[in-house]
Amino acid sequence: MDSYSTKHVKSRTLFQETWRRLVKNKGAMIGMGFLIFLILAALLSPFIFNYETDVIGQNMSDRLMGPCATHWFGTDEYGRDLFARVIYGARYSLAIGVGSVTIGLVVGTVLGSLAGFYGGPVDSLIMRAIDIFYSIPNILTAVVIVSLLGTSTVNLMIALAFSCASSFSRIVRASVMTIRDQEYVESSYAMGLPTWKIIAKHILPNCLSPIIVQITLLIGSTIISASSLSFLGIGVPAPAPEWGALLSAGRGHIRDASYMCVIPGLAIMFTVLALNLLGDGLRDALDPKMKK
Amino acid sequence: MAEQELVLKIKDLVVHYETDDADVHAVNGIDISIGKKRTLGLVGETGAGKTTTALSILNLVPNPPGVIKQGEIYLDGMNVLEMSSEELQKMRGNEVAMIFQDPMTALNPVMTVGDQIAESIELHQHISKKDAFEKAKEMLKMVGIAETRATDYPHQFSGGMKQRVVIAIALTCNPKLLIADEPTTALDVTIQAQVLELMKELISQKEMSMLLITHDLGVVAEVCEDVAVMYAGRIVEKGTADDVFNHMRHPYTEGLFESLPNLKERGEMLVPIQGLMPDPSELPPGCAFSPRCPYATEACSQQIPKLESVEGSETHFVACRAYEDPKFTLGRNRNGQ
Repeated sequence: MDSYSTKHVKSRTLFQETWRRLVKNKGAMIGMGFLIFLILAALLSPFIFNYETDVIGQNMSDRLMGPCATHWFGTDEYGRDLFARVIYGARYSLAIGVGSVTIGLVVGTVLGSLAGFYGGPVDSLIMRAIDIFYSIPNILTAVVIVSLLGTSTVNLMIALAFSCASSFSRIVRASVMTIRDQEYVESSYAMGLPTWKIIAKHILPNCLSPIIVQITLLIGSTIISASSLSFLGIGVPAPAPEWGALLSAGRGHIRDASYMCVIPGLAIMFTVLALNLLGDGLRDALDPKMKK
Repeated sequence: MAEQELVLKIKDLVVHYETDDADVHAVNGIDISIGKKRTLGLVGETGAGKTTTALSILNLVPNPPGVIKQGEIYLDGMNVLEMSSEELQKMRGNEVAMIFQDPMTALNPVMTVGDQIAESIELHQHISKKDAFEKAKEMLKMVGIAETRATDYPHQFSGGMKQRVVIAIALTCNPKLLIADEPTTALDVTIQAQVLELMKELISQKEMSMLLITHDLGVVAEVCEDVAVMYAGRIVEKGTADDVFNHMRHPYTEGLFESLPNLKERGEMLVPIQGLMPDPSELPPGCAFSPRCPYATEACSQQIPKLESVEGSETHFVACRAYEDPKFTLGRNRNGQ
């Protein structure tokens, strides 16, 4: 028998296809560029600044200086360089954002796929429990959890992971429910695959696009929540330069040294904006209906 | 045929779909058997219970709502309905493989076709990923697709080629029985012929048996040695292809043939079967076909006819009460033959 097609068609994986479409989206590219810069800054900041002297070391002679050539973002009430603190703060914000979304992703995916795959009483039990969490404002949940566990970076991550988990489980459940009934899932049963393998290899990979989009969007909102908690004084403990904590520290000087509030505020805003631009771009790039 | 030569033996299988609104009687006591290296065509309209029968063989009837009420299904002497879930997983794909109707949706869109073929080999033959992938390439070549395309994704293939991939997946583990659920329905006529030819070739090459589910009598004539005609969850007529095609006995079988256009006599009118198949949740008390049957008598609606041998034949069986009258013959058999 002759071969059906001997010519090798140039094949593009789903990833390459998505990347090609994402590159065309200017907003997403700007967002991604900013995020790459931020991630590099976060990774390299320990090599640029000395945490003990530059970031938390006090220098009362330089206190409350406005932005100038030596201190690009000015200094705070203890004479600490705000530029060093903001750049160093990216470490905290990104770590908390990524950390709690990762915890939420793992927990939410497991719960969501169980609920979506088995349906019936399992579904009701899991989803009603999640609805309860969803109905409480997530800041409130986080406040309660942090107060129970005590303030630390890890506890903050755990507290914020709760709301991430509930939104992931809803998304995963909805996707699993539609994919569960596809013929290729039925045929993998007929092939003798065990159930967990069917979920892991055939169902979840097909739910990936909404999950990826949700990851980027949730990191953004988690950074805001983390900053809010730090602003309230129950986030990352002082003197660590978390952006929300910087904002809170600048609050008292908002009349005479407004840059102390404006700069960390802008840092939060641009980071979340960049994540949202990237998330929107990904959503468009992963949507097969947008294919050209 | 001797018992031990049967690959598949279904005895008195009853499957219901139980929902809150209705109790759907999908399969109502069927008996079929398939011998080694034989191909059985299961023919019937949509909703006759063909696919349910096929899924029962793999013990994959969706439950709920599907319930296998009674019956025994023997695969090489082992009762499928009494197997543990481990035994079932071992059997599925390895001893019995299934080809689904629509190749467009039967492949996972985010896995390469090579990986999808290799998955089954890896699972049942316990060999390394790399060896399995090499074997998957061989399988692709066997179904007429270039090996280099093993790393491509399903959306890069046409419908006919996807069905070839599905066939490759089904045949990788050399199953004893292949269940093909309308394998050509979703394909173009030209591709249909190619795919059927391929299946026929591979089956005889690998010495498998096949259960071919279809509503296309042309496909049956092309591929099958034995035929069973199913109506409303029951077998109404079964026999060898020659028995059913040339010496048909059941009015429903006749109706199926009358509905086919005849290439030799072009002017002839088609004679469709009047009415619709009865609602499987409210089957009539007697012969389910009697409301649509041109030969139906009072007696037909009272008692369900049993499958009985035609004139003492060992292969040909029919379930029709009209034959209680020894002089009865079908209209199609009276004139012509």
